Amino acid sequence: MSGAVGREPVFPTRQSLGLMKSKLKGAETGHSLLKRKSEALTKRFREITRRIDEAKQKMGRVMQIAAFSLAEVSYAVGGDIGYQIQESAKQARFRVRAKHENVSGVLLPQFESYTQEGVNDFGLTGLGKGGQQIQRCRETYARAVETLVELASLQTAFLILDEVIKVVNRRVNAIEHVIIPRTENTIKYINSELDELDREEFYRLKKVSNKKQRDTAAADAEILAARQQAEEKPRNGTPEEPEAPDVLGEQEDTDVIF
Amino acid sequence: MAASAATHKERQFLAVIGDEDSVTGLLLAGIGHVTDGPDAQRNFLVVDSKTETSEIERAFQSFTQDRKDIAVVLINQHVAERIRHSVDAFAEPFPAVLEIPSKDHPYDPEKDSVLKRVRRLFGE
Amino acid sequence: MEGLFFNVNGGYVEGIVRGYRNSLLNGQNYSNLIQCETIDDVKLQLAPAYGDFLASLPPNPSTSALAGRMTDKLVSEFRYLIAQATGSTAKFLEYLTYGYMIDNIALLITGTLHERDTRELLERCHPLGWFETLPVLCVATNIEELYNSVLIETPLAPYFKGSLSHQDLDELNIEIVRNTLYKNYLEDFHNFVNTHPNFSGTPTQEIMAEILQFEADRRSINITLNSFGTELSKLERRKLYPEFGKLYPEGSLMLSRAEDVEGVALAVSAVGDYKTFFDAVGLSQGGGGGLSGGPADGKSLEDLFYQKEMEMSKLVFTQQFTPAVVYAWMRLKEQEIRNVSWISECIAQNQKERIGNFISVF
Repeated sequence: MSGAVGREPVFPTRQSLGLMKSKLKGAETGHSLLKRKSEALTKRFREITRRIDEAKQKMGRVMQIAAFSLAEVSYAVGGDIGYQIQESAKQARFRVRAKHENVSGVLLPQFESYTQEGVNDFGLTGLGKGGQQIQRCRETYARAVETLVELASLQTAFLILDEVIKVVNRRVNAIEHVIIPRTENTIKYINSELDELDREEFYRLKKVSNKKQRDTAAADAEILAARQQAEEKPRNGTPEEPEAPDVLGEQEDTDVIF
Repeated sequence: MAASAATHKERQFLAVIGDEDSVTGLLLAGIGHVTDGPDAQRNFLVVDSKTETSEIERAFQSFTQDRKDIAVVLINQHVAERIRHSVDAFAEPFPAVLEIPSKDHPYDPEKDSVLKRVRRLFGE
Repeated sequence: MEGLFFNVNGGYVEGIVRGYRNSLLNGQNYSNLIQCETIDDVKLQLAPAYGDFLASLPPNPSTSALAGRMTDKLVSEFRYLIAQATGSTAKFLEYLTYGYMIDNIALLITGTLHERDTRELLERCHPLGWFETLPVLCVATNIEELYNSVLIETPLAPYFKGSLSHQDLDELNIEIVRNTLYKNYLEDFHNFVNTHPNFSGTPTQEIMAEILQFEADRRSINITLNSFGTELSKLERRKLYPEFGKLYPEGSLMLSRAEDVEGVALAVSAVGDYKTFFDAVGLSQGGGGGLSGGPADGKSLEDLFYQKEMEMSKLVFTQQFTPAVVYAWMRLKEQEIRNVSWISECIAQNQKERIGNFISVF
């Protein structure tokens, strides 16, 4: 029995034995449930990880295409539009909202992009020249950002799942390596204590019965001897003799009763 | 979870820290937002060679800690490199911090803080 | 007859420009450029033409840095020309810079409107649109001050006067302001080459009128195409069309009423060149799916306009005794910078399949 695990501070009684047994049962059920939850989450987690890996590669490509479309814009406009774009930005047209997906009781946020209607900060940019390229570039970038948002959802799910899986695994491990052994220990302890008590009881009873046998044997012998004496010389000191063993017998008796 | 569900309902914007081209492109996609009022805040920061690291740091902190309306922070990988410790230290699920490639700096999965975690988890 | 005294004032400038023209990249150079694997190779290929200007670039520079240096060369050459020019030629060269000035002013207006530190913007201004009093404009803290200083300090005052008030700067979209100014500029320039005693009746008038008309038409068409789907009303749109050009007045009127690409195509069908362009991109589109030719079929309408502009500019060099060659050289040079940026962008981003999408006329 590993001393590190220890046992719970209980009195070794039959009642607490019952309690411990039901606790052990509960812990085992909980352990198997959590184990299954952790497995389900891990499965999901691995899937997400794989998708993150893919999405990150995809992002590389998408962003490259987008950057290239910006190059087309600067070719067509023949100048730098960066500053103007930065200054004309006012209201976000491209926004996200969070939805939730339930995976084994864990709420995973899912970003969903949507376009705020009626907001168009750059409608007239490139009016003189390059407007068509800018339009195309906006579309390309909007698609790229959608990919990014998707990736962001995955990444958030990844972080949350990572955290949750850690917690669940910690619980599983705690149950498996601490709670179950400790409860088992306690049960063993209670059992051994109860056995010990049983043995003591048994031994004592045996002792008592031995003593009683001896006493009865002695008493019998005395009675026998007294009878013999009485038979040999009747009417001589008979009332005195039986008193002495009676006194002794009384002392013994109190001991037995305790 | 219930408490945080309420908070990230508010998060509807994207923020970006990056070089001029990346920012311009993303703004063209329509993510740019400037808050009303006298202390107008932009949700983007253009970083060039002259930008102080402390300024990037401040913007990053503001987007990730102070502002509660940002769902995703996009940051150019080479910019993230400059404040790597902050990016690595940031482990909250909200907002999601996403490292994106820039035109002049192709994407390097080795440096991504999230991918690094992925690799560490699977012991690669 | 007109050439008799031209060389007294303008001969040197014209000679220099013809020399510059010979250093423009030709087809051979371009085919070498598109073979390059890295930006460093591009740099090496450009060395004969750009020499010193590229020397200080770090290894594998960014494409924007490369383009910046090329622009520097253009600027320094142009500054040399303008320093040498006198009289009407100098005036002509100044006109060339006004277009860039409009962009710079638009930049400053944007900055002032958003209460940015406009001093930072000075670096972003196009060096050709730089004028001595430009920094003065940065002192202005609100739009009214800026408007007044623009009127006082800049050569662009006539373009503001009469068509834009300081409230307009505040309320109108900056693109409308920019295009209004540009319209006024083009009309003024057109007027200048047609009426100036030194130019009227000379090849300069002939060439520049044609080029400017083309420019005006191109702007009208682009503005119309780009305004579809935006809040720009037809009335406002019409105000942005320059009031000359091959399309003016009937075509412009039709343009102002156009509601889709077909409408524009109809409006320009009176002019052969433009009709050809629209046929080239419009019909292959199957009727107005995208606004102009998608990247798939190579050339967009914009590309065709650029191509046309370059050909016109090339033809200018067949004429003598005119400062219009400077205009043509600048356009060619700008196109060259765009071409090189495009090529290096393609190389840097590894998108070689469309690398040939530049315009070379030599």
